[in-house]
Amino acid sequence: MRRDGRAYVAAAGALVLVGVACTPGDDDNGDGEGGEIVWAIGGAEAQPGGVHQSVAELWNDENPDNPVRIEQLPEEADQQREQQALELQAEGSNFDVLGVDVIWTGEYSENEWVESLEDVRGEIEEASIPGAFESATWGGELWAAPYNTNAGFLYYRTDLVDQPPDTWEALCDQAVEVSQSEDIGGFLGQGARYEGFVVNWLEYYWSAGGELYNEDQTEVLFDTEIAAQATEFMADAMENGCYAPGFNTAREEEGRNEFQQGNVAFLRNWPYVYSQVAGDDGSPANGNFDIAPLPTFTGQGTVSALGGFNNAVSAFSDNTEAAKDFVVWAATNEEAQTMLATEGSVPPTLESVYEELSDDPVMQVLGEILPDARPRPPAPEWNQISVEMQQSLFPAVNGDADVQSAVESVRSYLEGTVQ
Amino acid sequence: MSAEQNSPEQRRRKHPGSLAWLRSEQGAVRTRSVGRTVVKVVGLAAVLFWCLFPFFWLIMTSLKQGDRALNSPDIFQGPFGLGNYENVFDQNFHLNLRNSLAIAGMTTIICIIIGSLAGYALARLPLKRKILLLSGVLAVSLFPPVALVPPLYEVWRTVGLLNTWEGLYLPYTAFTLPLTIFILTTFYASIPKDLEDAARVDGATPFQAFYKVVFPLAAPGVFAAAIIIFVTAWNEFLLANTFAPRNPEVAQTVPVAIAAFTGQVEFQRPIGTITAACVVVVIPMIIVALVFQRRIVAGLTSGGLKG
Amino acid sequence: MADHRATADDDGGILVNGDKPPRPKRGGLSERALGRLFVAPSILLMAAVALFPVIYAFVLSLYDYTRRQREGFGGLQNYADAFADDRFWGALWFTLLFTVASVAAEFLIGLGFALIMNQAFRGRGLTRAAILIPWVIPTVIAAQMWFFMFNVTPGFINTVFGLGNFNWLGQEGWATFAVIFADVWKTSPFVALLLLAGLQTIPGDMYESGVVDGAGPFQRLWYITLPLLRPAILVALLFRTVEALRVYDLPQVMTGGAFDTESLSILVQQYVVRTPDPGYGAALSTISFVVILGIGMIFVSLLGRELVLERTTER
Repeated sequence: MRRDGRAYVAAAGALVLVGVACTPGDDDNGDGEGGEIVWAIGGAEAQPGGVHQSVAELWNDENPDNPVRIEQLPEEADQQREQQALELQAEGSNFDVLGVDVIWTGEYSENEWVESLEDVRGEIEEASIPGAFESATWGGELWAAPYNTNAGFLYYRTDLVDQPPDTWEALCDQAVEVSQSEDIGGFLGQGARYEGFVVNWLEYYWSAGGELYNEDQTEVLFDTEIAAQATEFMADAMENGCYAPGFNTAREEEGRNEFQQGNVAFLRNWPYVYSQVAGDDGSPANGNFDIAPLPTFTGQGTVSALGGFNNAVSAFSDNTEAAKDFVVWAATNEEAQTMLATEGSVPPTLESVYEELSDDPVMQVLGEILPDARPRPPAPEWNQISVEMQQSLFPAVNGDADVQSAVESVRSYLEGTVQ
Repeated sequence: MSAEQNSPEQRRRKHPGSLAWLRSEQGAVRTRSVGRTVVKVVGLAAVLFWCLFPFFWLIMTSLKQGDRALNSPDIFQGPFGLGNYENVFDQNFHLNLRNSLAIAGMTTIICIIIGSLAGYALARLPLKRKILLLSGVLAVSLFPPVALVPPLYEVWRTVGLLNTWEGLYLPYTAFTLPLTIFILTTFYASIPKDLEDAARVDGATPFQAFYKVVFPLAAPGVFAAAIIIFVTAWNEFLLANTFAPRNPEVAQTVPVAIAAFTGQVEFQRPIGTITAACVVVVIPMIIVALVFQRRIVAGLTSGGLKG
Repeated sequence: MADHRATADDDGGILVNGDKPPRPKRGGLSERALGRLFVAPSILLMAAVALFPVIYAFVLSLYDYTRRQREGFGGLQNYADAFADDRFWGALWFTLLFTVASVAAEFLIGLGFALIMNQAFRGRGLTRAAILIPWVIPTVIAAQMWFFMFNVTPGFINTVFGLGNFNWLGQEGWATFAVIFADVWKTSPFVALLLLAGLQTIPGDMYESGVVDGAGPFQRLWYITLPLLRPAILVALLFRTVEALRVYDLPQVMTGGAFDTESLSILVQQYVVRTPDPGYGAALSTISFVVILGIGMIFVSLLGRELVLERTTER
């Protein structure tokens, strides 16, 4: 008995210890109290001081009964989606408004995670940029309200290049030339194996006249010849010094840093780079760079892949009406959308803002390219398609796989998605 | 193992000798010892370089100000300052430290207590099918963690363990117990059986024999296990990021907080804040590890054998 | 919980001894009861947390999914799909390569560290702290740090060693090397700590008799230290191996799985999180589990013979 008694004492001691360490103040578990709208959105602009916070404050001034509170998600898109998915999969009501990446629309609607916005379609469609609006629809139905968009530019050094190139070939010629004469890198984009690679590849492919699907995504229009041309162009650029060293491991920040350090002459990147370089007094590029629409293979027009986030209303929200009001307001309110351009690093989706701010160099170029910019298909299977394209095309670009069989396998994968 | 043949007296007398054999050699041949010193110094320098060079980079980077300095390959490119550290603590990082300390601490305490019992039982007490038991224990920790997350999340949600300390240290304990049990079983097994028998002859119960004689002798193993558990729990990311992804006031841990740092604008990588936070985290960890580790090395010499 | 078990076992004791003793004897039975009592809390906690998800995943793996929508019972189809998938074999190959290379290097370096940490010399405090630093840095951050150091841009390692624009992470082979290197740097101290603790249990007279016999340092290491360190070495290798077989953060952050550095866990993560297919993801997890358990069992049987069987059959 005494022996067992000691064991009990030890066990009881352990239990006490367990009891002692209690989580502090579990007051705020995220359930929207009263009229509160919880907005689950991620990235730099969602942190205190970010523009999403300013937008929320603006709304709260006007709607004190239904204040918006931001639940800040991580920086990386995959992780944002994962955190939203865990909550929505459990049919949790902790999130009312979801910041939805333009490529998730179809998936969220297929899973019935978001409310249809068909009843407010009219005013949103009228106000928004067409590409951004398209990215918020799937199956002919509107699932989210556009909020911010993003499009790629060509950044170039005005002290090293006279004219921004019209064609990809001209770009590479100049890049090779500058990199030889100046002993710096030529051109950088997003060449690492991730979603950004697909974005970059699509810009080559689209600008050569390629398509993925027809309008309502019932038929595959993937052209293997054009795809091979785009892929071979990238593979050549890897070889001949057009792409700067490290292209195939570069994401947004690698490119931005190299350009800002003065190590590359050309850069494909999003608008956020502009203010970073222009605000860096020590940068060799500062004062010596400009932005232009991306080149094409024909020399005509420009195509950029769209990024950005739309706001959707969670299907499990217990504050649906107020949440819907908020997402419509955020898409159409001029003051809020203007803030995105003036305070934030994420371009607005409201068309009228671009006319108003056309003096701003970034907004001017954006206004020029956004009408032709394209969303990646917001299909439910986009993530699978993207992974498949990365698996096939990335090795081909790096010379580790045959170009022709790579594009064939992408085509056959796409065909498997439309039956 | 021949170690078991030693009587307690022999062990006590000779144990400090694990260092003594080195000392006894140093005076042996003078010319040889000069060569040995050179080899030792060079070897030590190599070790320090290997371990500290990346950490040096970390510290230098954490002190840099401004984007360009931070992203320069030249570690001496300034300007330098403490701005990154200010940023870290502006983000309630002290609360993250508190959470991590509590969670890792609780994990360590529970693991050591119940793992010690299990390890002792496996090493010393008669149990049926020990190999099967050991395999079962091991199996617990082998499932790919990412596949454990969705079902656990559902359960945690139902039970209300999301965003709590308990929600983290309970699974940490469960997943670290296999390692604890294996380490401690090894150490209990290496303690001479006759010590315990002697205690029994003196009238100690099996439990007394365990905690008065065996437990103190296993101190190096216990402290090694404690450091390992603590550091593992402290550094765990996947479960912490799923079960308590936000809110430092409640249960967000240090690695999750660091991974959630964002730059000033979209896409920007906050390398300065990350490195600063990392330095802030590493310093207390080193102190903890050093204190524990002193116990590992000092364990047998200062520890028991008096019971 | 423990209460019930103890009583049940005492009852067993009653049957044999015939009479309830005022105080349990030190016979096999009361020790057996104590053994069960001691093991119970660990087993219960581990079962409570870990058993359900494993069974859940196994059940899931038998169903057919299109993304998150369940289509019906699929039997072993998911397993057949996995074995027919080149990516699975590629991931398995990288995972095994990574495990063998990193665990071998970590063992050698860890043993060296442990021998150094075990010595008395001036500045050993600093050295011990230095050796532990890599290991206390959270893995996610260490991975980002090594990405930064290896990558061409900014190219820290290339600058320091004057390697120009050597593309460590952007080509097959070297990408694998970089990931393994980072893991070895990060985890050798873990091995060192375990071996250091193991060294403490080796009695000093073993060495003294070695010195008297005229054994050199390497002979002493080979014939005295290593054999006596065997249990600690096995435990260290066992846990390093099963950890390495589940590696995720390092290749994910450093290469994203490109250039043949996709591990099994990255593949599982893709099907659980990125392109959800719960059935297939669960099948991949189960296969990984079986592979890892199989390899782990080799160590357990070696260890088990060493630790458990010898000693209990003694009596």
